[in-house]
Amino acid sequence: MLRALFPRGYLFTVLGIAVGMAGLVSLGAMAERITRFIDGGDRFVLGQISVAGEGMGMGTGFTAGGLLPAARIAEIARVPGVAAVQAQVMLPLSTTTSHFLTLTQELILGMDLSAPMPNRHYRELPVRAGRFLRSGDRRAAVVGADFAATRRLAVGGPLSLGTLPFTVVGLLDRTLTAPDRFAIVSIDDARDLWLRRDPLLVQVFGAGGGALGRGDLNSGVAVGWAPGVDPDALARRIHAEVRGVNVTIPGELSRLLRTSTAFFSALLLGIGALGLVIGGLSLSNTVTAAVFERIRDFGIKRALGATDVQLLGEVLGEALRVSLAGCVGGVALALGLGLAVDARLFRDGQQLFLFSPRLLLFALGFGLVLGALAATYATLRIARLSPAEAIRRGA
Amino acid sequence: MLLRAVGLTKSYGGARAGPVRVLQGVDLEVKAGEIAAIVGVSGSGKSTLLNLLGLLEPPDAGEIQFDAEPVSSLGRRRQARLRGARIGYVFQSFLLLSGLTAWENVLLAARYVGRDRRQAEREALRLMERLDVLHRRGHYPAQLSGGEQQRVAFCRAVLNAPSLLLADEPTGNLDAEHARVILRELRAQARERGATVILVTHRAEAAAEADYALRLQGGRLEPA
Repeated sequence: MLRALFPRGYLFTVLGIAVGMAGLVSLGAMAERITRFIDGGDRFVLGQISVAGEGMGMGTGFTAGGLLPAARIAEIARVPGVAAVQAQVMLPLSTTTSHFLTLTQELILGMDLSAPMPNRHYRELPVRAGRFLRSGDRRAAVVGADFAATRRLAVGGPLSLGTLPFTVVGLLDRTLTAPDRFAIVSIDDARDLWLRRDPLLVQVFGAGGGALGRGDLNSGVAVGWAPGVDPDALARRIHAEVRGVNVTIPGELSRLLRTSTAFFSALLLGIGALGLVIGGLSLSNTVTAAVFERIRDFGIKRALGATDVQLLGEVLGEALRVSLAGCVGGVALALGLGLAVDARLFRDGQQLFLFSPRLLLFALGFGLVLGALAATYATLRIARLSPAEAIRRGA
Repeated sequence: MLLRAVGLTKSYGGARAGPVRVLQGVDLEVKAGEIAAIVGVSGSGKSTLLNLLGLLEPPDAGEIQFDAEPVSSLGRRRQARLRGARIGYVFQSFLLLSGLTAWENVLLAARYVGRDRRQAEREALRLMERLDVLHRRGHYPAQLSGGEQQRVAFCRAVLNAPSLLLADEPTGNLDAEHARVILRELRAQARERGATVILVTHRAEAAAEADYALRLQGGRLEPA
């Protein structure tokens, strides 16, 4: 049975294909990883309108500057077309500037849990273990996959954010984008953390007798829109009708993100093309060479009465079985190496490869089609020879 | 089968060296049940002639007929069918497929002619037992001696009971004892089944097994 699947004498052919396929799959998995990151960010910004206090713009959350008072949030909620508004506080976990706005920056996200998540693409974040936050939760945190991995966090375990103790109530699934590095808490807890960091804020908000209260301590809001409403038009309307706010226009931000990640897009396109070329050439060359190596066998078979069609059918069958064996071996090799590398990187919250089902299916299909094409090409070349010539050349 | 060849010519060679005329108008007629030996010095074109007669390569000119039917001008597919059903080959270097066992090599002859598998297996058993290689059926060619390989190759050549049996130096790589076995079996094919046998050889004892011998010299056949 095994011999029928993997014809004798093809071991090195299978290994050759496996190496080429492993290269293709590995490079493809790296490209997939980058693509998922870029697409995840794009998906997020296209799912909501982000509004921040005027001054620091989108940097507000990252820099812990700027404020969006409750009165402004109420004004935003009244703009026609707005369906939901969720107040948020976003703080950098580490205040050292070396982490500022880098892809590795970890963030504390405080969410107003009394309001539903307005992001159309992330109605709820995927929880791998435990649960998501509920309204009324205090000193409870849900953490992203990388955030948890670097600290070996588990559900029910303690977590210290700033100077405050928290309990981890949930771990998010890996999204391969921003939330992987989030620690999500209630907005009241986030406000506490913010106040403890900035003595000036304590003077303004802590006394309770000023013009501003704790409810004004927001770094921004996520705005959802009603069905049928054009989000870009709504964002412009908010900007026109509510004074003192910075509004991100989803479509524009998406385009900006795409522009700013154009280098990465080109890079991953190059990586993918390189993988196709390396893997494709390796595979087709190996299959072609394997068929040409059997030129004597084909001569003998034709002497025994094999027609061109019968021979082509046999060679294609063998090539497909050998290609499949090589492809599966290559995928297994790439998976083994990739997962081993990622297991090491995962401790630092990094992931280099993404072996998505579409990548693996594409690689298998690509390998089989290319193997069949290479085998057909080689067979047609051999079929032009007379049986005697094929036997002579293969001797 | 009545095999007739008329005016066969064949040249080899490239553009630089110029063509080498191997066969220059070969005429031949061998009747059913006859064994014809073709002798000649090395390079005289004996194997080339056998290849042409066995439809393994086309002649430059001339015609080959099986039972008065022209076959050298047939299409590739029909020639392939003829090779499988009516012609058996025994080569000096055995030409067994290294990736197949002795048993699989023998049965390979039945694969391309649409023969009933069980019937072919029964015949293969009988032949391998007769040639004393049945006990080696599960071995690969590299695990067999030269004599065993040639006997397996012989079983493959006669599995479909071909009416034309072409043997190219079939005893060239064998010792005297194994050579006698192969020559005995070739004779049996002609005498018992009426097969037309053409034997290319440079060994006198092999040529002596034939009903008559022809010498290939200067690209033409003449009585030896």
